[in-house]
Order: sequence, then structure tokens, then C-alpha cells
Amino acid sequence: MNPFPMLLADLRALRWTAPAIVLLVAIAIASGIAIGAQERALRQGSARAADDFDLIVGAPGSQTQLVMSTVYLQPDALPLLDGRILQALAQDERVAAFAPLGFGDVSRGYPVIGTTAAFAGRWGRIAPSEGRLFAAEGEAVIGADVNYRPGDTIAPSHGTAGSQGRHGEDSEEEHAHRHEGHGYTVVGRLPKLGSPWDRAILVPIESVWEIHGLGNGHASEAATSDAPFWHAGTTRTGTPPETIGRIGPPFDGKRVPGVPAIVIKPKSVAGAYALRAQYRQGGTMAFFPAEVLVSLYGALGDIRSILVVASAANTVLILLSVVLLLIAVNGLRRRRYATLRALGAPRSYVLLVTWLGAALLIATGCILGLGLGLAATHAVSGLVAARTGLALSPSVGIGELSQAAMLCLVGSVLAALPALASYRAPVLSGLRAD
Amino acid sequence: MPSSPLPDGHAATLVLDQLTLDRRDGDGRSFSILAIPALTLEPGTSLGVSGPSGSGKSSLLHLVAGLITPSAGRVSWGDTVVSALAEGERDRWRRRTIGFVFQDFHLVPELDVAANIALPASFSSWRLDAVDRRRALDLAEQMGLADPRRRAAVLSRGEQQRVAIARALFGKPALLLADEPTASLDAARSEAIGALLVEAATRCGASLICASHDAALLARMDRRLDLTPTPAKHAT
Repeated sequence: MNPFPMLLADLRALRWTAPAIVLLVAIAIASGIAIGAQERALRQGSARAADDFDLIVGAPGSQTQLVMSTVYLQPDALPLLDGRILQALAQDERVAAFAPLGFGDVSRGYPVIGTTAAFAGRWGRIAPSEGRLFAAEGEAVIGADVNYRPGDTIAPSHGTAGSQGRHGEDSEEEHAHRHEGHGYTVVGRLPKLGSPWDRAILVPIESVWEIHGLGNGHASEAATSDAPFWHAGTTRTGTPPETIGRIGPPFDGKRVPGVPAIVIKPKSVAGAYALRAQYRQGGTMAFFPAEVLVSLYGALGDIRSILVVASAANTVLILLSVVLLLIAVNGLRRRRYATLRALGAPRSYVLLVTWLGAALLIATGCILGLGLGLAATHAVSGLVAARTGLALSPSVGIGELSQAAMLCLVGSVLAALPALASYRAPVLSGLRAD
Repeated sequence: MPSSPLPDGHAATLVLDQLTLDRRDGDGRSFSILAIPALTLEPGTSLGVSGPSGSGKSSLLHLVAGLITPSAGRVSWGDTVVSALAEGERDRWRRRTIGFVFQDFHLVPELDVAANIALPASFSSWRLDAVDRRRALDLAEQMGLADPRRRAAVLSRGEQQRVAIARALFGKPALLLADEPTASLDAARSEAIGALLVEAATRCGASLICASHDAALLARMDRRLDLTPTPAKHAT
């Protein structure tokens, strides 16, 4: 028995309805797959972005807000920590490294972040892809996606919470809040991290403090007052000013300015927990970003479950309507199949032709849906990357494959319904049907 | 396996014995559609069945083809009592013995001429071998179909009936059944198709039963059966 000549004739008789059925099934499958794959990609991408942030210390407030501001660089007004903590951390034996993070300024929509050269190099994990890390006040190293070039001068503006200009463009808002007379010279560019930090301008924390008139946090503060670093950008581009004092820890000034957040790299796990416990009292809070992410993922997971159930219900409805359509089509083909029977085709032949036809349409839809789902996931990931700088690497996993296989199976079983209807139809009434 | 001791497609005598077919109407009353006390058709003979619409011409063909079973009596083909076979066996017997030609051709419009002719081969075998393919092309040529690659949908009615006859002949049937084969054709084409049908049956030595209103076609038959209800039903 070879049902394929008849099967092909049946599919050809459907004309545009056949691709329409395939497309319907494909879209239903694709939406389910995209939701699953996208959620997982988002989880992995956001976790990767938090890699170098072992322990965060900040002023008491929302942990989620602090994670959003430090790891994902969402602009927000943050309360400041007492700068003396920086001195205490420098002497703490449990601390392998630490870095203050100072936010607030922007340039061309890119956040200007004050920190240490060590953290700019992610504790030695990455080296600049161009130039070098900043080594003195007035120098800046830029993220991979920042559209300044080494040698450029960056004029920072005071950021206003909630208004962040478009990346890479000057805005009037920025112009109005410019720190007049201040500038940074770009000395290097960092490799791509796949996180919002690719769009950040990193400068020494001392410069941020000084621009805001807070001193530089070092004991040798007085020595720098007659040769302010910000003239560097307008006079001798590219060469670090010689009169500037050293940058980076320890911050041993009499009065160390406050910072919104400190990232700590602990020496050991036990040390990490001890530090977290210690800085949870006395006017500070300390936490592992993973704690915040886990609760975020919990909420994300709940939403995902709802969406997955909704899209599965959606898919089953589409499959059912496709099956109904095929039952109607086979009803119109009663005479066609009755003729086959009169010519000597066994019942099983008619069953096979009708079942294979329906199953083939649904299976093709499932396979196309897998591809479409993957394409949709990549498209959404591209949008997420464009908006947040978070690089996502979506992939179709076992979960999505088994979901598609499951629906394909359900579809094939449902496809037996129109086939059985044709199988049971009496030959004679079919021959008489018009 | 079919209980027929005869080789497949072998000519045999068709015997209808005390055959009746009843139906129930809407009120549940039984009424007779067809009653044939006795009919014997020798191998290779042709029979023309006439009678007004509703006199049971089509039902007779369907009974002989084993598409339905009689209310009483039996249909035998040689030593095989067709009316007593199970449905699967009747399907198999029909595939090996019968060639069917319909009034409205019933081709598969999406398939080409050759594929329509060879379609019955796909009911039983996976591949169409070279011999079968050759046979389909030969039949198309015999039926005067110039281009076997044309799709059935674009053929004229006369051409379509030629394809239908070729398809009926494809399985080398021992019994050809034709239900009003010329009713939907104009006079000139009726003439040609009628001649073609009888000639084809004669050439392959098949018995032929033809239900028709067409006097010219009926005149070509060896014997005639008039199913007009009264005054008399008799085989001549």
C-alpha cells in the first residue's frame, strides 16, 4: 500500500489552506518555545552580568534597587555610605579586594562611574582591548560599546534621576547640567562583557569626588589643589598629568567622602558570610547579589509558568480547530474516498491517507514552530541587548524540544479523529454524495 | 486470503440467486428496491441494464461489486460467494476482479492522467514497477489520450471518461461495471465512449455490466435486463 500519490493529491487540493494550517500550528508552538527559551536566556545573561559582584555593601534601603543600580546600571538616586568604611575594609583580613562605586554623572547618555582601576579590570579578569586602564585622575577607560575613542575628552554632566539620554548622543538635558571646566581623557577601552557595563565610562573615584567638591579621599589631598586634573583634557591630551597624586586604595584621608556602593571580593566563603553579617548592622546593608537575583527569578519563574500554561492552552485550541477544519474537509471529500473504496482500496488505505495528511501538516507546523521560536527568541534577545546592554545567548533546550515533540504527538493523535471519521464512512452514501 | 480457488482476475461466471435488496423508509416500513430471481452471466458477455431512475440499476452494480450486501439471496463469482465475504475480503476481491466506471468519472483532479490510471496499484503495492508504469501509458494511448502528463482537472469530459475507463482496465479486471458511463457526455462523445468501452471489455475478455438510459449504448450489449417495475421484469 502506498498512500503517498493520494496524500500529495489531497495536500495539493487544499491549496493555500495547507500552508495556512502549518503556519497556525507553527506560531502556536513558537510562542511557547520563545517564552521558555527567552526566560532562561534572561536568567543566564543577568546572572553572568553579576559575576564580579560577590558582595555589595550600601546604605540601608532596597537591595533590589542597589543591585539594579550597581550591576545593571539603572540610574537612580542612592543614599551614601560613610566613607570611613573604605578605610576599615582596607585593613580587613577577610577582604581580598574592594572597590567603591560612585554613580551620578553621565556623558552622551553613558553613565560615568567612579571606581578603582582594579575593579575596572574586574580584579584582573579582563585586560583593556585598546590602550590601558586609567592610572591617574582625569583619565577614563570606556566600555566596549561607548562611542568615544581613545584620546577623546569626555565632559561629564550631572545626571538627573529618571532621565537618561539616549546612548551615544548629546542631549540638551545633559548640556544644562554639565560640570563646566571638567573633562576626562579616554586612555583605553575594555573588551565586551555582555553586560550594561559595556556602556559605562569608568573613571577614578577620586575624580568623581573632586568634581563634586568633596576632596579626593587621600592624605596627600593638599598637594593637588594648585593643579586641578581637569585641565588635562584641554591642555595635554593623552599624557597623564604629573602633579596628580596616586589613585586607588587605601583611602587614607582624614575625611573620606561617601559612596553609594562598595563591591567586595572576599578571600573565602566563610569570610564572605562574616562580612555580610558585620555590614548588616550599624547603618549599612550587605548582601550577595545572587540573593536578590534568586528572588527575582522566583517571580520571573511564576510569570513564566503562567505564560507557558496560557500558550499551551492556546496551542491545544489551535490544534483542535485544525482538526475540526480537517474533519470538515474530509466531509467534503466523502465521494473522493468512496470512489477509492469502489476501485478496490481497503479501508486502511483511506485511514492512512487521511491520517498521514493531517499528521504531516501538524508535524511540519511543529518543526517550523521550533525554528520560528528560535528566531523569535533571538529577535527578542537582540531587543533586550539593545535596550539594556545585557547580552543573552538563547538556545533551545531539552525542555522546548520535548514540548514541541509532545504537541506533535498530541496533534498526531488528534489527527486520527478526521481519519477515523473517513474510515467509518459508508462507501455507498459517499458515492451518492454531491 | 480470499476463499476464491480461482487465480486473481480469472474470468468466471457471475450468478445472482434469489437476490433482493430492501430499504426502510422514514416511517420504518420496509420496501423493495431490487428483486432479481435469477441471473447468470457467462464469462466475456456483456449485459445492459435499463430502467427508469430509482429502479435499482446502481444498486445492482453496487451489489455485484460487493459494496453492499443483499437483504436476501446471494451473489457468486465462480465458486466465490461474494455476498458472504467479510468486508476486508470483499475489498480485496473487488480490487482483483472489478473495474468500475462512474457517470461522473471521479478522477483525482490533482493527479495527471498516468497517475490516475495507475492509482489502483497504490492500494496494494508500495512501488509502481516499470511494467505497471508502461501499462498505464499503453492504456492512455489505447484510449486516445495524447499527453499522459496532463492533470485530470484540465481534461474535457470525454477525455476524463477515457481516463476513467483506462483506470478501470488497469487491474486487468474480469468484470467491468459501468454506471451510466455516457450520461454526462454529449451525443457524439457518448457514441465514441460506448464503442471504446465495449471494445475494451472484449479485448481483455472481461464481462461487462452497463447500467444506462442510452439506447445506443444498450444496443451494443449482448444481453439486456430491464428493471422497469411492472408489468414484468425479465432477463432476455
